[in-house]
Formats: sequence, C-alpha cells, structure tokens
Amino acid sequence: MKKILFIILALSFFKSLAIANEVNVFSARHYDSDIQLYEKFTSQTGIKVNIISGKDKALQKRIIEEGKNSKADLYITADAGTLGFFDSKKMFQNSMSPAIKSAVPSNFRSKNWTGIAKRARIIYYSPDRVNANDLIGMTYEELASPKWKGRIVIRQSNNIYNQSLVASLISNNGKKATSEWVKDVVANMARDSKGNDRAQILAVAAGEADLAVANTYYYALMLSGSKGPEQQAAAKKVLPFFPNQGDRGTHMNISGGGILKHAPNKDNAIKLLEFLLTKEAQQHIVNNTYEYPMIEGVEPHELIKQMGLDFKQDLKTKVVNYGKNQAAALEIMLAARWK
Amino acid sequence: MGKKINIWYFSSFLISIVVAIPIITVFGSFFETTGSYVLILKNTFLIDYIYNSILLLVGVLILTFIIGVGCAYLVSFYNFPGVNFFKWALILSFAVPAYIYAYSLTAFFENYGTAFSILKNLFGEGNYNSYIPKFDGMMGAIISISFSLFGYVYVLTKASFHYQSQNLIELGKNLGFSKEKLFFKIILPSARPAIVAGLSLVAMETLSDFGSVSFFGVSTLTTGIYNAWISFDDLTLANRLSFYLLIFIFGLFILENLSRKKAQYHTQSKGGFKSKSLIDLNSYKSLLAFSFCMIVFFVSFLFPVLQMLYWTVIFPKHLIDLNLIELFSNTMLLVFLSSCLLIVLAFISNYGNRVSKSKFLEALNTFSISGYAIPGIILAVAFITFISWFDNNMINYLEVKSIKSIFIGSVLGLILVYFIRFYSLANNGIKSGYLKINYSIDESAYLLGYSKFKTFKNIHIPYLKNSILLIGILLAIEIIKELPITLIMRPFNFETFATKAYVFASQDLLEAAAAPSLLLIVTASFFILITSRYILKD
Repeated sequence: MKKILFIILALSFFKSLAIANEVNVFSARHYDSDIQLYEKFTSQTGIKVNIISGKDKALQKRIIEEGKNSKADLYITADAGTLGFFDSKKMFQNSMSPAIKSAVPSNFRSKNWTGIAKRARIIYYSPDRVNANDLIGMTYEELASPKWKGRIVIRQSNNIYNQSLVASLISNNGKKATSEWVKDVVANMARDSKGNDRAQILAVAAGEADLAVANTYYYALMLSGSKGPEQQAAAKKVLPFFPNQGDRGTHMNISGGGILKHAPNKDNAIKLLEFLLTKEAQQHIVNNTYEYPMIEGVEPHELIKQMGLDFKQDLKTKVVNYGKNQAAALEIMLAARWK
Repeated sequence: MGKKINIWYFSSFLISIVVAIPIITVFGSFFETTGSYVLILKNTFLIDYIYNSILLLVGVLILTFIIGVGCAYLVSFYNFPGVNFFKWALILSFAVPAYIYAYSLTAFFENYGTAFSILKNLFGEGNYNSYIPKFDGMMGAIISISFSLFGYVYVLTKASFHYQSQNLIELGKNLGFSKEKLFFKIILPSARPAIVAGLSLVAMETLSDFGSVSFFGVSTLTTGIYNAWISFDDLTLANRLSFYLLIFIFGLFILENLSRKKAQYHTQSKGGFKSKSLIDLNSYKSLLAFSFCMIVFFVSFLFPVLQMLYWTVIFPKHLIDLNLIELFSNTMLLVFLSSCLLIVLAFISNYGNRVSKSKFLEALNTFSISGYAIPGIILAVAFITFISWFDNNMINYLEVKSIKSIFIGSVLGLILVYFIRFYSLANNGIKSGYLKINYSIDESAYLLGYSKFKTFKNIHIPYLKNSILLIGILLAIEIIKELPITLIMRPFNFETFATKAYVFASQDLLEAAAAPSLLLIVTASFFILITSRYILKD
C-alpha cells in the first residue's frame, strides 16, 4: 500500500514538473464533447490541453487571487454577461487575432473576448391552450401583459440566462420600465420559479402553465430522445416561438472565451480559440450541444433546423451590454420577489 | 507534570487555531463596509433566508432524530427478522450525497419522469403528472438532506446503545419501569451525548448545504451568501451572512453544553460491562420493526441507487466513456491522505485537551470546529484569499519564490482545506469516544508509572480503536462525496467521481451523471461494508 502510494505521489509530482507544449483552460462550460474537441486539437498541433472545470465565479476568484502566478491561459463560459463582468475586472488581454475577427460578427465579441457558439432564449407554448393568433407579434415585453396571468413559467432569478435576458431588456427599455415589466411577469407566473429550463418546458407539456421561457438547446435535447421516450413525446406537445420578430429580434446569448492577462501560453491559447472557430470544430459543437454556430457556412443540428432557422436574431443589442446590466437585472428581480 | 503538558497543550492550541482561521476571517469582515446589496437584501429576502434556514434545520433535525434514533433503538434492543442485516445496511445511506439524492428525487417525481414512465408501462397512456406528488422546494430539500445525513445520528446513537450498561437497564426494570419509561428515562438520556453529537453534525451539514437547496430553489442563508458573492461580488456581505450562520451554530453548542452540564457520562467501572440480550418481539411487533427499518433502508439507499442504475443501464455509453481507474485512484488518493492527517491531528488535539484540562483550550476547540457550518465553497475561497494575501505581503517582501502554486491548484492545498472543513467531524468523534474513558483510568496508568505518551499509546488508542475506525469511514465517505472544495482547489485534469457527476449534472445531463454517481455510491458503500464488521463487532 505504502509503495503504491509513493509511486502515485512521485508520478504526479514529476508529471507536474515536466515542461510541455500546453495550454491551460479554466472552463465553466462542461460538455464532454468539448473535451473530444480538445483532443482533436492536441492531435493536430501537439499542444496538450489541460482543463479545470467548475462554477463561474469560483473559477474567476481563483484566477484573480492567483494573480500573475496564475497558470490559466483561457477562460471559457456559457454567458456573455459573465465574460463582460470578468473583463470589467481587467482580467483579459486583447487577443483577437485577425482570424477571430474575420470569423465572428462584431456584436458577438469584444476586443478581449469572443463568442464560440450561440443560443437563443425563446418562448415555448402549448398549442392546445394558446391560440397561435394570440402570439402574432409576441415580444418579451408582452410577457407582462395581464392576459398571461397565472400562465407563465420561467426559472429563478439567480439563473444567469435570466439575468442576461433582463439585462438586455434594461439596455433596450431602461431600468425603470424593466422594473415594472419584472413585477408584472412575476404576477403572471403560474408557480414560484423552480427547476431548470427543461423543467419549464415540461411544465407546459404537463398543463401546469401555458408559456415557458427557456433556451433553445434544452428543447432539442428533449426532442433527441436522450432524455427518454416520455420526455421526447412531452416536448412534441409544446411548440417553440421566437419573439420580437417585428422589432429588434430574438434575445441571443453566447458561449465564449477570452485569453487571460497573465496567460503563460498566450500563443497556444490563441491557436485553441482559432481552432474552436474552424468549420470542423463548429460542426462538432453544434452537433453535440444543439447550439447555433458562430461562423458562417456551418449548419446547425437537424433538430435545431426544425425549430426554424429563418428567425431574426437580435443583433442590435450587443452582448457586451449584458455584463454591464446584470447586477441591476438581479436587483430589480429580487425587489419584485422573483424567487 | 510541567514540560510534557506544554507540548500537548501547544499542539492542541496550534491545531485549533489553524482550523479557526476562516472563522476569524469571517469575524474580521463584520466590521468592513458592504455594497448596496445589503440594502436590497434587507428589504426583500433577509427574513425569508433566516426563516427558510430555520425551517430547513428544524425539519431535518426532527426527521433525522426520528429515523436515526428509531432505527438505532430497534436494532440495538430487539430481535426481529433481518435485524443483523439492517444493523449494517442502514449505514449504507452514508454513501449517497444529498445532491445525488436530490437528482434522484427530481428525476423520479418530475413531470414525465421515472414515476410517469412506470405508470405508463403498467396502465398505458394517461395524464399521470397531476397525480404524482412533487417532492420539490422545501419538502424536497428536507427529504434529501435528512435521508443522506440520518446515518450520523444512527451510527453514533447505536454505538452508545451498544456500550450502555445492562446494569442500568436492569435497575430500571427492578424499579418497575415500563418499556416506554425505560426508553425515555434511562436509554435515551444516557445516549444523549451521542445523539446530540450526531444531531449537531447534521445541523452543521444542513446549514452549509448548497447543492441540494440550490437544486430545489430554497433560499437559505447559504443561498444568500452565494448570491451576495456571485452576483454582486460582495464578499464582505457573503462573510457577514456566514457570520449569522455561525451564530446559529454557537447557539446550538451553548444549548447543548448547558443542558448536559450536570450529567457525567462515563461508564461506571464498578460491576463491569455486561452485554445485553436482545428482546424477542411477537410477530405483529416484529413486522412493524421490520417495516420501519425496511422503509428507511429502501428510501435512503435503494431508491437513489435504483434510479441511477436505471439510467446507467439504458444509457451504458456514459459508463463506458468514463476513465474508471483514474477517477478511482484520484478519489482514493484524497481519501487516504486527508483521513490520516485528520485522525492523527484530532487525536493529538483531544489528548492535549484531556491532559491539560484547560478551559481555554476546550473553548477554543469548540469555537474552531464550528467552521464546519461554513459552506465549503466559502471556506475554499477564504483559503485562497488567505494564501494570496500571505504571499503578496509576506513572501514577496522576502523576495523568495511565490508559494501560491504550492497551495492553490495542488493536492496539498486541497487536503488542507479538507482538513479545515472536516476537522470537526474527526474531533467530535474522538471526543465522544474520550468522554467514555473515565479519568480514573488515566490516573491508574500514571500510578503504574506510565508516561503521558505511553498512556496515550497503550491505553487510549486501543480503547478507542472502534471510534478511530468509525471516524476513518465517516471521513472517507465525506471526502468521496465532497464537491465544492474539490471543484475549485483541484489541479488541472484532476477528476473525481464527484466532480465528474457535477460536470454532467450542471449541463442538465443527469442521465450521464448517473454513472459517476453510481460509482461514487458503490465506492463509498464498499468502504462501509469492509469496515462495518469492526463497528458491529461486539
């Protein structure tokens, strides 16, 4: 036992000493398919990808405290507001190479970080209980309308996707109007907020509510059957609706990343970011996570296409703004007693 | 006396201080200014947070008391079918972390969940969702936490019942006590230190729980801490809320200390230890006893295991994709190193307290272990902040190499934070073992010319062998299940069963989280099983 332990300790010690061609990733986006992508990157470039995955703010805190001793090169997460917030702490460096700039539309990146994939936060409805005519011209703003009283489900206020959605409303309509909107939406809820996005869609399928707000990939995940035949059938009882088609378009969020200020392997990190934005990598991402591709010329997953591709995305509200308004968003949600 | 006491005193003092550092940090922050979040919080949710924390705590304490003491009493005093099986099988609930229990509870009862599938397969299509009870919110949190923690109360109470002198019980019988009176007047009061020790562990784990309360969306003080810190970047307020949590815990400690001040719980040396004979139950009562234990065993262990097994069987790909050897050896490395460190140091500290009989050490010791109620994630960040501050101010000043990479993102740092987090568990266990060794035994040893060290080595350690084993298992299981500290403190590419399960669950891939969760439960169960015969050996 002692010998085995000694060998394990010695091995792990030397392993950490070996100088390698590597890149260190701190990731709050935990798809197994991402790890397969990193393996592909390693086999193409010889650069080893080391990963720590965890909760957003805990990872950020660790990077901040490690300071210039931090080994972290690349920070990847699944929310634009989170990237913006970390950027405001001056933790990123300008790393947008010409290849990244030409691949990613300007409203999905800043000078210090870039989107890798997109997702939309949309409305789902029960075609049995909601007349499709009622939804013509439907917007996020109209979720506050009294006609939806007791009919809406949406997850809790501490959820980052909700914070980004409300942040985007603040940057479009102002804090005061959005504050009223939040109060009315809370009054329209069919129940106290609970569960994840999938649970909201299931609540509509089960008849607990008529409208749900959730991200696009959750719906595709259920339709794919990987949650079992019952949930696949349940998803089919609910239809997706892309709001705000008459004005700015549907709220978009991103998965993205940026290179850290003290990155010891900056060049490798840029190579990895560029790799993630190649056609090959994007195809792998959208096939496995049901997100929308960040670059032109890549087709989303078949199930995402079925939900409708010709919708208008909100390209007017820059995702950079989410980070600025997130704290205000949570503040007004808590004030309205949004659970 | 003199010199030797000082060494013990000093070691004991030092250990308590190290464990107390995060609590001192929390105290320190109480006097700093906070952001605007405190205003928003006061106006809206603070009362809710406190109310929910109390409700959760009371719910969990009542449920774990009934289940834990009830099972321990039945298997310790009565003979009924399966009693020898339940003795160890009930400990298996330890293998299931509250967050995995929460996943199972939700997956089974949610709309179109496993319960729906079962009903559909039995009775055909139908709208069963409205008939399936929804164990979510506060109810879900109380059930998940209680069934994953009642083992503390069960194990400690059962051990105490085991050593309860037959003479006392016979005395009660001779006085004409009924079974109920015997239970409430003799059996229960004499097991009180063990029950209280178990309940206080449960209380601290409950207050620091984040995984299951956030999963069920119950806003407790812990959620408040997380919100303050994560969303408003107001660590000072997060610390201040932790401070309220600590007040809770100190209240509990003081209550418990006051309540047993007059009582002494040493086994009477006169007359010796006489083992009990189990009482046979008639068929009706033995069916009741069997059902009670079976329901607890099923709900606490079989139910989550079956749910995870069900997913692993329908989605075997997720199991095949796991790197089992790596996950297993990483988990075991952490278990082995941390348990050894914790047990050795808890022993030294307790012995130091015992030989020095210092009120100050006793108080410091009690103070330091209440850090158990600080949520693991806050503890880890407090540690990182402390190392960073120390490095920036001390080490840089001396112009030597930074120590950050030695302590942050290393197995060493991880084990140190485990040490602070679980010290209370090791300490409480050994302390309650020590309470049973009468001081007169020590004095006899000194009269025989034993040194302090020899008394420690030749008398205390053999006497406490079972306690040490018990603590060892508890620590191993806690470390196998631990999540937030491991997540943030670990080195690159370092995955355990718990982190792997979390990573999947956080992407809403509970069916993929099932395989690592199941392996986590199996590993922890294995630990319980190989050592259960030592705990149960009469």
